[in-house]
Amino acid sequence: MTPDLFEPLDPVIHSQVRLAVLSILLAAEKADFNYLKKSTGATDGNLSTHLVKLEEAGYIAVKKSFSGRKPLTTCSLTEKGRAAFARYVKALEGYLPPGR
Amino acid sequence: MDERQAREEIQLIRRMIDQTKRSTAESGTLFVVWGVLLTLALVGNYVLASLRLYDWEWLNWVAAAVIGWIYSIVYGIRRRKKEAVRTYVQTAARHLYFGCGTAFLLVGLLFPALRVYSYESIVILVATVSGVLFFVMSGLFDWPLLRGLGLFWWLGAVVLSLVPFPARTLVYAGLFIPGFLVPSFLLQARSKKNS
Repeated sequence: MTPDLFEPLDPVIHSQVRLAVLSILLAAEKADFNYLKKSTGATDGNLSTHLVKLEEAGYIAVKKSFSGRKPLTTCSLTEKGRAAFARYVKALEGYLPPGR
Repeated sequence: MDERQAREEIQLIRRMIDQTKRSTAESGTLFVVWGVLLTLALVGNYVLASLRLYDWEWLNWVAAAVIGWIYSIVYGIRRRKKEAVRTYVQTAARHLYFGCGTAFLLVGLLFPALRVYSYESIVILVATVSGVLFFVMSGLFDWPLLRGLGLFWWLGAVVLSLVPFPARTLVYAGLFIPGFLVPSFLLQARSKKNS
């Protein structure tokens, strides 16, 4: 099998931080910014940039609110994001030998 | 992208999903609180029955239910405010707890008060609802011990139906310790270990 036969990977998801964020949101109904930061090990600025990319692609919904006086950013996976993630995982599996 | 990179990405996906599930596992706190409250109510019931103060038994259970519900609601609201991540399992579990909690109130307090059936049948119905609670929890939290507890309570309900009253209440108290109190502390210990 040559690389040309592989399904192309979605460039919006093909980044360690964005893939990690989508994986978390797949298991969770919603997650806040601090949880995503802690889980992915990304910095504030870095994570913000990745979240904007995912939001612009329509893969996640970002809700900004307040918890007391502190700003609270909560993210959740959209249906479009869920479908894109499923396609990405299927494409990834194509890179593994059959039956593995 | 090659095979090694694909494997690494799949491992990352698995790790993130597992980590999220672990961080939102059932804490067991509410179970411990209800377990202790109901143990105290069972002891209170025994003491009141020994003193032949039968009219007070009803109040004993109402007090336990009111304290338990107030604690549960306050705990639920505070935890919801603090939670950084919420999983679908948590939402399903919350609905299960609320549903079973309401069922306990109906079958344990309201229906006997309305004389739909005798108070002698309460523990049989409570055991049946407990079976549903633990059996569904086993599916949500993927813990076979809870499945066993579900079956334990359903079997217990059958046994209780064969035992005459008032010995039935004593048998129920005997089932309550291994069937609710001990698992509550195990659930809490498991949560602490995971976190």
